[in-house]
Amino acid sequence: MTSNTYSISGGDFQRAGAAASRLKEQLKRIGVEQETVRRAVIAAYEAEMNVVIHARKGNMRVMLDAGQIDVEVTDAGPGIPDIDQAMQEGFSTAPLEAIELGFGAGMGLPNIKKNSDVFDIESTVGKGTRVSFRLCLAPQNASVDTANSVRVSAELCRECLHCLRSCPTQALRVRNGKPEVLEHLCIDCGACIRVCGTGALNMVGEAEVPRPTDETVLIVPSAFLVQFGARGDPHDVLAGLAGLGFLDVRLTEGWEDALREAVMEYASKGTPSRPVISPVCPAVVNLIEMRFPSLMDNLAPFLSPVEAMCEEFAGHRVVLLAACPSQSTAIKSNSLAADVRIVLATSLRYALLPLVTRADNGTAKWRDKHCVAAACRDEAILEVSGIDHVMAVLEKAEDGALGDIELMELFACSQGCFGSPFYSEDPFVARHRRLDELGLPDTTARAVRRKAPCSARAGLRLDDDMSKAIEKLSRIDEIAGSLPGRDCGMCGAPTCSAFAEDVVLGRATESACVHLNGSEDETT
Amino acid sequence: MRLAYLADKIGAQVLTNRDKAARIEIERAYAGDRMSNLLSEGSETTLLVTNLSNAMLPRVAELVDAAGLCLLNGLSPERETVKAAEERGIVLIISPVGMFETCGRLYQCLDRGRSATR
Repeated sequence: MTSNTYSISGGDFQRAGAAASRLKEQLKRIGVEQETVRRAVIAAYEAEMNVVIHARKGNMRVMLDAGQIDVEVTDAGPGIPDIDQAMQEGFSTAPLEAIELGFGAGMGLPNIKKNSDVFDIESTVGKGTRVSFRLCLAPQNASVDTANSVRVSAELCRECLHCLRSCPTQALRVRNGKPEVLEHLCIDCGACIRVCGTGALNMVGEAEVPRPTDETVLIVPSAFLVQFGARGDPHDVLAGLAGLGFLDVRLTEGWEDALREAVMEYASKGTPSRPVISPVCPAVVNLIEMRFPSLMDNLAPFLSPVEAMCEEFAGHRVVLLAACPSQSTAIKSNSLAADVRIVLATSLRYALLPLVTRADNGTAKWRDKHCVAAACRDEAILEVSGIDHVMAVLEKAEDGALGDIELMELFACSQGCFGSPFYSEDPFVARHRRLDELGLPDTTARAVRRKAPCSARAGLRLDDDMSKAIEKLSRIDEIAGSLPGRDCGMCGAPTCSAFAEDVVLGRATESACVHLNGSEDETT
Repeated sequence: MRLAYLADKIGAQVLTNRDKAARIEIERAYAGDRMSNLLSEGSETTLLVTNLSNAMLPRVAELVDAAGLCLLNGLSPERETVKAAEERGIVLIISPVGMFETCGRLYQCLDRGRSATR
């Protein structure tokens, strides 16, 4: 770790910004990525100006460590009587002299917070103020230290092979009577869980709703509210959830809206790569990191709504109804401060069923009053749902064929989270029933920036050594050429070329192919 | 659009770093009189337009790699400001008209509305 301290003299507008300039110089020399440099410099400059404007003198201490920059700005100034007020945009106590120069617009502290990953401020009136912030440098690589969230119960498998063909990244094999997930290829989209009729494939999560405590927050996807049939009034579902005894029940909807707004603002800035892709679906982010790394720059640098919510409840206990394995993995792989337990949708649904399904009184009254057509999305956004369509659209984007599109929201499941493999209602029906609002706007909802940029996954790479990878590639082609090309799945791999790859990478032997082994006569 | 060409089209005079003005490409402009906003909005391809003219401006522009600064109303800035821009490699241009009209001219030159995508 290296540490540098720069002194800042209060009232000296001539030299103001010198510390931020030095920081910029340093960060560039150690090769910090441009956008991170920019954010660090903006935050540092604002902190430095606060000292120049308000205090007699101060110091900026910069600590560089593997993976992060920590900046601490302390001053011997008047202190801040009300920090909450000071954090509001537009609030300022700057003197006229500063305002005439264009400073003191009340944007300083909010700007520091916005441009850093961790932000802290403490102040004592009459003594001084200490502002500290951190930016993370190292890319986080979810695929390395965290497994995926698909759970295999081998004893339930009856080898129907449906899952093999459903997997968009060919990450499944069914060998020796049991499904096997190649974790480095799995994007946690849940497509295999959807087609599995036996329960052999499921998601990691708790099958019973954890006992509520008065310090636990329950997070529920809005789409869950419409999973109780034609007469299951979402208001009753919400009331039922509230009655479970958790400290608070929060819906994802407000956070989805907050993300959409933040991404739209990001896209309007003019600098990002087009089309901008919203990170709303973690499975799509995984897919891009693995299969379309050239589109990583197109991803808006925010956390998905569920991740943002768990981030918000740092220090709390959270019970999260995860709609799919990708949400679960995203929560597990991000080192979030909150203590999160994942509960399966089915278990929560059973807990609520007796409360929601009321006596049959013929019509569903709630629908007349509140239901709004599903088509309320912004027209400027291209929405694509269903993993096959998402793959096709990403191919197009990679070829540069979507230059006319500004912003895309891509969902692995059909109709977005309404199509979760764990919901019983048809996704189209569920989305049609959605309520535009339940009269409970979540005012705390906000978009949260990613702490670290996305990083490409090595999943598809055949070998770390490129020349060996090329060798393997030609052997795969050779073997694939000798296979019948029927993609029958009997060997346990989804396609003949996937099988050829398995053979070359040592995951299978050629004898597993029934066609190569048996006589060709059998093919009639 | 090259900054030198853009300046010519809006009738602005280039005060500093003429060579650089001929090289750098401008995609958008941001106009405002608050340092915080200029800091947040500046970028390599952004021209910052402002009524401010103090010597802190070039430093703010430099911190966020902003390409150029456009001052307004044909008013020459203090010597300090010109010197700071010169030293920090910031292209300083002066528009003969006020913010409203300058932005109008820029908007037309940068072809907003027609090329929404890059």
